[in-house]
Amino acid sequence: MEIKSYNLLNVGVGGQGVIRAAQILSYAALLDNYKIRTAETHGMAQRGGSVASYLRFGTEVEGPLIPRGKTDTILAFEASEAVRIFNYAGPETVFLINENIIVPPVIRQMGIYYPNLTEIRDFLKNVSPNIFFIDGIKIATDLGNPRTMNVVMLGALIGLQVLPLKKETLQKAILSYLYSKFHDINKKAFEIGIEKGVELRGGSND
Amino acid sequence: MIRPELAEENPGKKIIMLGNEAIARGILEAGVVIGAGYPGTPSSEILPTLAEMQKFYPHLKLEWSVNEKVGFEVAYGGSMSNVRSVAVMKHVGVNVASDAFMTACYAGARGGMVLISADDPNSYSSQNEQDNRYFGLHALVPVFEPSTPQEAKDMIKYAFDFSEEYQSLVLFRTTTRLNHGRADVILGEVKVIDRDYGFDWDRSRWVCLPSHSRVLRMRLLERFEEISDYADEFPFNALKLSGEKINGIRYGFVAAGVPYSQLLNALNYYGIVDKVSILKLGLVFPPPKELIKKLFAYSDEIVVVEELEPFLENIMKQIAFEEGYSKELTIHGKDIFPQNGEFSGEIYLENIARLIGLSYKKVPVPENMLIIPPRLPILCPGCGHRSTFYAIKQVEKLMKTKFVNSSDIGCYTLAVYKPLEGIDTEVCMGGSIGLANGIAKVQSSDNPVLAILGDSTFFHSGIPALINAVFNKNNMLVVILDNRSTSMTGFQDNPGTGITITNEPGTRVVLEDLVKGCGVSPENIWVEDAYKLNETIKKLEEAVKAEGVRVFISRHLCSLVESNQFRAQQIIPPSIMVDQEKCISCMICINKFGCQALNSNEADKKVSIESSVCRGCKVCIDICPQDAIYEEIE
Repeated sequence: MEIKSYNLLNVGVGGQGVIRAAQILSYAALLDNYKIRTAETHGMAQRGGSVASYLRFGTEVEGPLIPRGKTDTILAFEASEAVRIFNYAGPETVFLINENIIVPPVIRQMGIYYPNLTEIRDFLKNVSPNIFFIDGIKIATDLGNPRTMNVVMLGALIGLQVLPLKKETLQKAILSYLYSKFHDINKKAFEIGIEKGVELRGGSND
Repeated sequence: MIRPELAEENPGKKIIMLGNEAIARGILEAGVVIGAGYPGTPSSEILPTLAEMQKFYPHLKLEWSVNEKVGFEVAYGGSMSNVRSVAVMKHVGVNVASDAFMTACYAGARGGMVLISADDPNSYSSQNEQDNRYFGLHALVPVFEPSTPQEAKDMIKYAFDFSEEYQSLVLFRTTTRLNHGRADVILGEVKVIDRDYGFDWDRSRWVCLPSHSRVLRMRLLERFEEISDYADEFPFNALKLSGEKINGIRYGFVAAGVPYSQLLNALNYYGIVDKVSILKLGLVFPPPKELIKKLFAYSDEIVVVEELEPFLENIMKQIAFEEGYSKELTIHGKDIFPQNGEFSGEIYLENIARLIGLSYKKVPVPENMLIIPPRLPILCPGCGHRSTFYAIKQVEKLMKTKFVNSSDIGCYTLAVYKPLEGIDTEVCMGGSIGLANGIAKVQSSDNPVLAILGDSTFFHSGIPALINAVFNKNNMLVVILDNRSTSMTGFQDNPGTGITITNEPGTRVVLEDLVKGCGVSPENIWVEDAYKLNETIKKLEEAVKAEGVRVFISRHLCSLVESNQFRAQQIIPPSIMVDQEKCISCMICINKFGCQALNSNEADKKVSIESSVCRGCKVCIDICPQDAIYEEIE
């Protein structure tokens, strides 16, 4: 696939595996022979803070940062983080959002209001018509390990047909970052994620 | 032992690397022997990546030094001894190393010597966003700046050849987005340098006393002139000329580092990359005069695209003046681009569009904007710092006064936020004690002066300030938060753990002995486990009320490190529960202590503990005035 530049923004909260997802996706893009750039959040901001990783690949990518409004896909491991970076999206942007909301402890403890999923859905409707929600934690928990949420979400990107990477290369990239005892459950999580993505798209798995 | 891909001897292989890993790979490929430095975001991954490689390349001699000055000196000692050496630090670390750097530049390099400065525009993880290109200008040391991880690897490898050829130090400057971005990188050959090494007893060079320094200064000036003459041939500079006009004007862009690659994105976006001239600098100082003159001759307007200070812009203006271009040429820089922060992608799009007269539509803000409260970084559950700050607050309350809490750089800086609000100053490494020296000179005794800092920060530069306090009788209580780790930057070991960067046993330095050695009298030293709240409060009160310079060591292993150890050893932390009958919803545990494992029920405000977050430190058991919190023992 000849692509000039594909821009993906992955957001979440420190500890959710955003940096790992950037590693996996960039390795998969390498296997599919793309030129790759990422930019990530490390250090102080990771202590329970918002984490974002920019991933760009294609023939025309030079710098790692994505301008506002120019993101192809936003992958949010936590729902409110998708709102925080909404201005990176344009009307064409596809959002895939984990329904989970993590209220910052200080906000919760101080009793400051934090938006709920309905408000988040209503707001994002005005940003792009292509918003997909997925209960990633529930699907992963039903599988037997809530930590496979990221892999479910990566699978769903393939099912949605928004990621110009081959299913096989992405699976290979995912497994290369895991101990072999976790391979089976993550293969399942990936497959279920793909099915879920196809379902969200309302199409058949071709 | 599995050999990581980035340690493979497989030239031509393409792999994904973090910028810092690519720099480490370049250092390996250059045949470097000594690597030293102090951890600091965004530089922290470089030396640990080399430490991984060291298992396969035992010629590498690496260390976490006690601070950046010592790290620089360790590397420079290597250069004096004819081995290639690198010193690695964040931008503010160069301030600490600058005492050595500003004179080492006179004597120059014997073995190739590179100082890596990882700058942090936007202060993502720093107390300032200083622009360290000026250190090159200040010291007459060439400044290299890569724009991609591949270039970083190739350029640092070249920097060691360059350093030896010109006998000059090299300042290798990066910014956060280069250090912490991944890209495809092609491996090169790992060089093994076979030559005699060892000290050379050249006193006229290595003894920088006045009579030698005057001579060395002349050599520095000559060396710098040679480097300036070579700048036009520097292999990582590139000039692309275009005679085309856009709206009647020929534009010439100048950029280096990450802004260069981001500029290309923007020019590609507008489809004008071939319609403008571009001077890309890999050597940002000294400037390539002939290339710049050619660019000037092909341009009506020059646009310098650089983050932070107008460093290149001023150089362009100077050369335009000297070469007689100043009347016919407009030079843009900080009139278009901000002087603060990092440039986001749209800053390029918006400002270039405005300058050239292209259309750029800002992303509109929807009317029903949904506000998401900020997610500020906070101390972890089970963090010993939280209980120490809580104890300090309790002693303040008992004594019915307000302390001056002079503090420092580390995770504990996060105690500035609610609910702890436990620190009053933060300037630089070790500054807590230094500032407290001055504050103590004038502060009334009604407000006891505390200096609060971490173990690694104390080793780094707290020690001289403590000796100063003892010597000058600047009375204070120094609280050392000893969590046996340099946590904020990634849990690096330090003299207090006695484990080296390559995971070998070094010699552990015992804090109690060290402060005694600094002259603090033994009866003025207290030590307590940070998890033992009641004992901590009791001893802290004693310490605050005592006379002279006192030291309180509050000790508990970093809870992130401890919980990882527990997981590895399959130890289950204590299970902490709240008796719902006893809880009276006073909210003290949440409103004053604020561990994130504590939840309150929205309806009746009764507290519960989130077991997946709780690390079982048991401090909240001591905080609850109703004894409602307890450990469940099966």
